[in-house]
Amino acid sequence: MKNGRDCPGGKQPPGNHSFPPVSDETLAGSHEILSRRHRRDRLIRAVWFACAFFAVIIIFFILAFLLFDAYPVFFEIGIWDFLTGMVWNPTGSPPAYGIYPLIVDSLLVTILAMAISIPLGVGSAIYIAELAPSRVKAIVKPAVELLAGIPSVVFGFFGLIVLTDWIRVNFDVPTGETWLAGSILLGVMALPTIISVSEDAISSAPREVREGSFALGATHWQTISRVVTPAALSGITAAIILGIGRAVGETMAVLMVTGNAAVIPDPIWNVLSPVRTLTGTLGIEMGEVAIGSTHYHALFGIAVVLLGITLAINLFATVILARIKEKHMAVNACSPKKSGTGEKQWFARYMQKYKNILAGIVLGLVLLAVFGLMGLLAALLGYSAFRLIQGRISPKWTQRVAFSLIVFCILSVLFALGVILYDIIANGLPYLTWEFLTAPPSNLGRSGGIFPAIVGTMYLVAGAIAIALPIGIGAAIYLTEYTREGRATKIIRTGTDLLNGTPSIVFGLFGFAFLVIYLGFGVSLIAGQITLALMVLPTIIRTTEESLRTVPVSAREGSLALGATKWQTIRKVILPPSVPGIVTGTILSIGRAAGETAPILFTAVVFSTRFLPDSLFDPVMALPYHLYILATNVPGAKGQQYATALVLLGLVVAFYALAIWIRHRSAAACKW
Amino acid sequence: MAASIHNYWMFGLAAALIIAVLAAGCTQQPGDGQETTLKVTGSTTVLPVAQAAADAFGTDHASADIQVTGGGSSVGVQSIGEGTADIGMSSRDLKAEEKTKYPDLVVTTIANDGIGVIVHPENTVSGLTIAQVKEIYAGNTTNWKEVGGPDQVIVVVGRDSASGTREFFFETVMKKQNFTPTQLEKNSNGAVKQTVTQTPGAIGYVGLGYIDSEVRAVPIIVNGEPVMPSIENVVSKTYPISRPLIMITQGTPAGLAKEYLDFILSPAGQKIVADEGFVPITS
Repeated sequence: MKNGRDCPGGKQPPGNHSFPPVSDETLAGSHEILSRRHRRDRLIRAVWFACAFFAVIIIFFILAFLLFDAYPVFFEIGIWDFLTGMVWNPTGSPPAYGIYPLIVDSLLVTILAMAISIPLGVGSAIYIAELAPSRVKAIVKPAVELLAGIPSVVFGFFGLIVLTDWIRVNFDVPTGETWLAGSILLGVMALPTIISVSEDAISSAPREVREGSFALGATHWQTISRVVTPAALSGITAAIILGIGRAVGETMAVLMVTGNAAVIPDPIWNVLSPVRTLTGTLGIEMGEVAIGSTHYHALFGIAVVLLGITLAINLFATVILARIKEKHMAVNACSPKKSGTGEKQWFARYMQKYKNILAGIVLGLVLLAVFGLMGLLAALLGYSAFRLIQGRISPKWTQRVAFSLIVFCILSVLFALGVILYDIIANGLPYLTWEFLTAPPSNLGRSGGIFPAIVGTMYLVAGAIAIALPIGIGAAIYLTEYTREGRATKIIRTGTDLLNGTPSIVFGLFGFAFLVIYLGFGVSLIAGQITLALMVLPTIIRTTEESLRTVPVSAREGSLALGATKWQTIRKVILPPSVPGIVTGTILSIGRAAGETAPILFTAVVFSTRFLPDSLFDPVMALPYHLYILATNVPGAKGQQYATALVLLGLVVAFYALAIWIRHRSAAACKW
Repeated sequence: MAASIHNYWMFGLAAALIIAVLAAGCTQQPGDGQETTLKVTGSTTVLPVAQAAADAFGTDHASADIQVTGGGSSVGVQSIGEGTADIGMSSRDLKAEEKTKYPDLVVTTIANDGIGVIVHPENTVSGLTIAQVKEIYAGNTTNWKEVGGPDQVIVVVGRDSASGTREFFFETVMKKQNFTPTQLEKNSNGAVKQTVTQTPGAIGYVGLGYIDSEVRAVPIIVNGEPVMPSIENVVSKTYPISRPLIMITQGTPAGLAKEYLDFILSPAGQKIVADEGFVPITS
C-alpha cells in the first residue's frame, strides 16, 4: 500500500514505485535489496500497528468482560432496581442489592474533595507559575510532583491512624471514619494533578498578553485575575476534571477512612457521617465473596457502573482538552487579527459575569461542609461586605489580600505534604533496621522483616514493565511516525486516555475475573504483572509519544532524503534523542506500579510466604499489600506498619525523584 | 549526537537489566529440589493459627513452603472446591449449597472459638445480654446509657458482608434480623479491633484470639450471670457465642496437607491454638 510510506504531514515524496523509470534504470541492481527492505518495513509497521491496536482493544475488552460477569445481576435484580435500590445488604434476609447510596456517597466524597482541592490547587498553581521566585519554584514544583508519588495505601494508612482520630477529637463525633476524612484525603491526593496541569496552562499563556496588560498599567494581580487565568481557564477546567477522575476511582485510601456504612448522610450535608463508595465496596467485599453467587455478579455490576462514570468523566476531559488545542491553533493562526469567534467571546463574557457567583457558591459549600450553617452565614456576610467595599478598595490592597490567599494555598499544600512525611518518617525510622529489610516476616508481621515483600514488589514491577514497555513504545511509534492525524489516531488516543482514567480497582477486578479465574492462572505473579502492565501502559504510550514529537520534522526529512528507510530513520535518528523521555515515562510507571495496591489485591499477593517465588505462577508478597494488611488486620504492629510505609514511600519517591531529575537534565541539555 | 548514542546504549542496558531481573525471577531453579508448596487460604479468624502453625511446622520441615492467605471463609471454601488451594480455612460450617456443589470436601475441626463483644477500654458498661447486643446492632439502642454505660453515642462496628464471623453473628445473635445500615463495616477481625481501640463509643465483635488489653471484652449476661468470653467458658459451653473453626481438604487429607493438619491436631499444634487465644479441641 502506498499509505505505508506516508510520513507525518504527507510531505515525503512518494515511494519508489511511483516513478518506475528512474528507479528501474538506475537502481536495477539494488532493486531486490530495496524490496526486501520494503517488506521488512511493512512488517515492522504491522507490528507497531498491532501494539497500538492492542491499547484500544484492551479497554473494550475490559468493559466487555466486566459486563459479561455483571450480566446475571442485571438480569436477576433488574438494571433499574440495581441502580436505584436504597439498601445494599447482600447477606441480609432478604438480600438487597441496591447501589443508589453507594453512587450518591461516591459523588459526595468526590464533590467535597474537589471543594477542598480546587481552590488550594489552582491557588498553588498560580503561585508556582506567577509569583514564586525562581529559586523557590525550583524546590516547590518538584515537591508537589513528589506528592503525586505517595502511594494511596500510605495516604490511607496515615488517614486511618492520624486523620480519623484528629477528626473524632476535634469535631467531637463518635467516630472519625467519615465522609470528611475521605474527602480530605482525596482532596490532597488530587492536588498534584490539579496543580501540575493548571500550572502548565497558566505558564503557557502567551507573554505578549501579559506584557500588554502590564503596559496598560494593570497591577500584577489584575493581570493574573483578568488576563492570565481567563486565558488558561480551559486548561484549568481540564485539570479539575482529571482530578475528579482520580478522586472517583481511588480505592485504598477511601476504603480505609470512610467507615464503609452504606447510608446516605442524613441530612445530606452531614460531612461527619460515615459513607461507603463504589470503589470501597469492591475493595472490601471482592476478596471474600463466593464466586458465582449473586453477590459476586453484583460486585461486577458495581465495577461496570464505576467504569461507566469514569469513562464519562474522561471523555468529557478529552473533549475539553481537544477544544483547548483547537483554540490554541485558532489563536496562533489569527493572532494578528482582532479576536476569536463570537461564540468564544460570548463564553468569556458569560464566565466573567458568573465567575464571582460561582466562586461564592463553591466557597459557601466548603464552609457549609466544614462549619455548618454558621459558616455559611459568615460567608454570606463576608461576601456582601466584600461587594460593598470592592469598588472603594485600592487595587494595591486587593492584590495584597489576593496574594496572601495564594501564599496561604501553597503553604497549606506544603504543610499537608510535610505533616504526612514527618509522621511517617519520625515513626518509621526507629524500626528501620538492617534486619527489617533483609529478614522474612514472622508472627503475622509483628516481628521479623519485609524482605520477601520487597523482592515481590520488584518482581511485580519488573514483569509489568517488561510487558508494557515494548507494547507502549510500539504503540507510540505507530501513532507518531506512521499515521496522519485522522479518525484512526483519534480512536487510538481516546482508547489510551480512557485506559489511563480507568480506576485501578477495575483493573484488579478484570485481572481477577479474566486471568485468575477464566484463564486459570490462580493468584500468581504473572497475573499481577499483566494487570499492572495494563495499568501503566497509557503512561508509557503518552510519555513516549511526547518525546518522539520533540524530534523536529527536519531531522526525519534529512534522514529519509539520505536514502534511509523508515525503520532506519526511526531507529537511528528518532529514537536515540527520545530516550530520556522514554526513560522518564518508564520510571514514573515503575513508581506507580510499585505503589498500587488495588490491582494486585486479588491477583498476585499472599499474606505471607517464607520463600521467594520459583515460577511465574507462584503468588508473592508485596509492600503495599503488606502495609494494608498490617494496618487493617494486625493489631500491635504499629512500628512495623510505619517502617513498611516508610520503605514503600522511600522506594516510590526515589523513582519519582529520579524521573524528575532525568527530565530536568534532558530538558536543559537537549534543545533543538 | 555522541550523547544521544550514549543514551541509546544506556537505554538498552536498562532494558537488558529489567529483563535479566525478570528472567532471574522466573528461572530461579527449583533449587533444593524437594521444596513443596502448601497453599492455605480462607478465614481471617483461622489465619493466625494457620500462620503460627506454619512457622513452627517449617522449622522441622525446611523444604515445606506453606503459603497462608486470608480472604474470608467463602474464599476458603471456594478455593478448595475449585482446586486453587490445598487447604481451605473457614470459621463456619459448610453451607448446604456448598456441600452439593463440592461433594468431596472433608472437614477437619482444628479448634473452637468464642466471639467476644468488645468495647473501648474506658467504656464502663458492666455487661450485656444477647438481646441487648442484638438491639444495639439492629440500631434500636443508640446510646450506652440505655444499657448501663456512659452517656455516649454507640458506634456500631461490624464485618463486611462476605465474612464468616458476620454470618455466624447474624444467625446466632441477630437471629437473622438485619444490621443497622449505619454500622461501620471492616474487612477483618484486626480492622474491627483497630477501630474499637481508637473509638471510645465503639462496639465490635471479634474472635477470642483478637482480645487483649487494647480493648475490653464485655461479659455476656446469661440467666443473670455475667460470663466472660474465655477459653474455659467456651469449653464448658457456658459462653453462648461460640463456634468451631475448620480446615477443609479435597478428599481425605494426604501428603504435606496431612502432615500439616496432623501437626495442628498434635499437642504442640493445640498449644499454638491456645497461644493464639482459641479453644483447643483436645482439652
